[in-house]
Amino acid sequence: MKLVKRGAEADLYKTRWQNSDAILKIRKTRKYRNPLLDSRIKRRRTIKESQMLCLVKSFGVSAPLVYFVNPKTASIIMQEIPGRPVHDLAEQKIIKLSKTIGELVGTLHKNGVMHGDLTTSNFILYRDTIFVLDFGLAQVSTKPEDHAVDLRLIKEILNSAHAKIMSSAWNNFLNGYRGVVGSTYHAKIIRLVSEIEGRGRYAQVV
Amino acid sequence: MDNVLGLGIESTAHTFSCAVIEKNKKDGRILSDIRHIYRPADGQGIHPREASRHHVEHSSTVLSECIREAGITIHDIDIVSYAAGPGLGPCLRIGAIVARSLSSFYNIPIYPVNHAIGHIELGKLLTGATNPMVLLVSGGHTMLLAFLNYQWRVFGETLDITLGQLLDQFGRSMGFASPCGQNIEELARTSSNYVPLPYSVKGNDVSFSGLLSATKSVAARSKADACYSLQETAFAMTSEVVERALSFTQKRELMIVGGVAANRRLSEMLRDVCRRHGSKFFAVPLQYAGDCGSQICWTGLLESQVKPGVSLENTFVTQSWRLDSVRIDY
Repeated sequence: MKLVKRGAEADLYKTRWQNSDAILKIRKTRKYRNPLLDSRIKRRRTIKESQMLCLVKSFGVSAPLVYFVNPKTASIIMQEIPGRPVHDLAEQKIIKLSKTIGELVGTLHKNGVMHGDLTTSNFILYRDTIFVLDFGLAQVSTKPEDHAVDLRLIKEILNSAHAKIMSSAWNNFLNGYRGVVGSTYHAKIIRLVSEIEGRGRYAQVV
Repeated sequence: MDNVLGLGIESTAHTFSCAVIEKNKKDGRILSDIRHIYRPADGQGIHPREASRHHVEHSSTVLSECIREAGITIHDIDIVSYAAGPGLGPCLRIGAIVARSLSSFYNIPIYPVNHAIGHIELGKLLTGATNPMVLLVSGGHTMLLAFLNYQWRVFGETLDITLGQLLDQFGRSMGFASPCGQNIEELARTSSNYVPLPYSVKGNDVSFSGLLSATKSVAARSKADACYSLQETAFAMTSEVVERALSFTQKRELMIVGGVAANRRLSEMLRDVCRRHGSKFFAVPLQYAGDCGSQICWTGLLESQVKPGVSLENTFVTQSWRLDSVRIDY
């Protein structure tokens, strides 16, 4: 099997399932982690991720199909999405796609799902469709605070990894998000985001 | 002018320190670094007023010892820099007053320096890291940073208390003297019984406050188990976000700076993370992990390459001064 990506959390291998290309996602033991803690984290996230990959499709968010799950080895075999992560696309393209990403996140939140790891590498563009990946930190949650944490994270990523296009990408994201969740909820979440930012260390509290 | 001699003054929290560095192009040589550290009573934290009194009392001896050890006189100094924030207001003011007095009396250009940037710049000087992902872990900071487009950008940080505060507040609840990191590390080594504790990673951010409360209740049963489990959980969380950031940014270097960099268990875990990602691991030498005048001095010297000193009216101190708001032109 060919290693496709050595991720932060899991390793991805190219494999076959029945007659189609597939990805084996396996959460490897971290030597530095206490074994008990390690196995708890791996097991919980493997189960959570496979559940979420199925759940989000029920409200129209594109995500890889789950073929097989083994909590014992902390591995999931899923459909391969042969597109490119949004992170690697041209800046103008990222700005444009930010609106769609905002809509996708809005759809997740509207249906009570917090993604928990919203980065530009967890969205893959394949044939004009954006697929959402990496649900290991996702949670079923309707709490506005959790949704605000999601937004703050993607804002932080735009601010750090895509600093040059931050403001236009962020505006587009928010437009897309507002279109799905409505302006009342949008305003509420935005307020919470600045509240969370204000809690940050040495933030300028006005 | 090839050789520049700088004096740096640090007084953001418990440490009052002066250092002299000689800068020659990209090289810096620390000629002296003298510190005096305020120690609160066992089980208690820093009292800002008491700490600032401590700084007042020791400022002149630390300064004169620093000059003497460097083998120079005050007239040899080309620039003076001081930590202008972030930190405790009363403490910051002492360093600033000393710097202003020297600057106006001897007519030396003066530079306000961001304390956190100081940790990073001194780390780069001492480790030789060129373009690292930086993990800044101390009593005041828990941040994961990378340099992009004239600024240090935050990839992840704590949403509530810092790693240093977590260790100190937990240690103090058991009656240790601040800073408690070393005591906790020693006690942790006597146990290998992991008690499950809340593990809170939110994307690239971490949250430690729930962990602190939960660990206190474990300590009621076994202090050693509590220390061990606290370190394992908190450091695993930190290592995980480091892994995330390394994999996201593909940086080939990781540098750890700040007081908690002195913890060997944390370094060991991060070294393992780096091995997995093929990145080089740099830890700031133990002696310079904590707050010191050198970090301020070196950053001031770097600033002086591109800017004249500021006028005395602009020698501010700011308790809240985020390092991602500082533009870096050198």
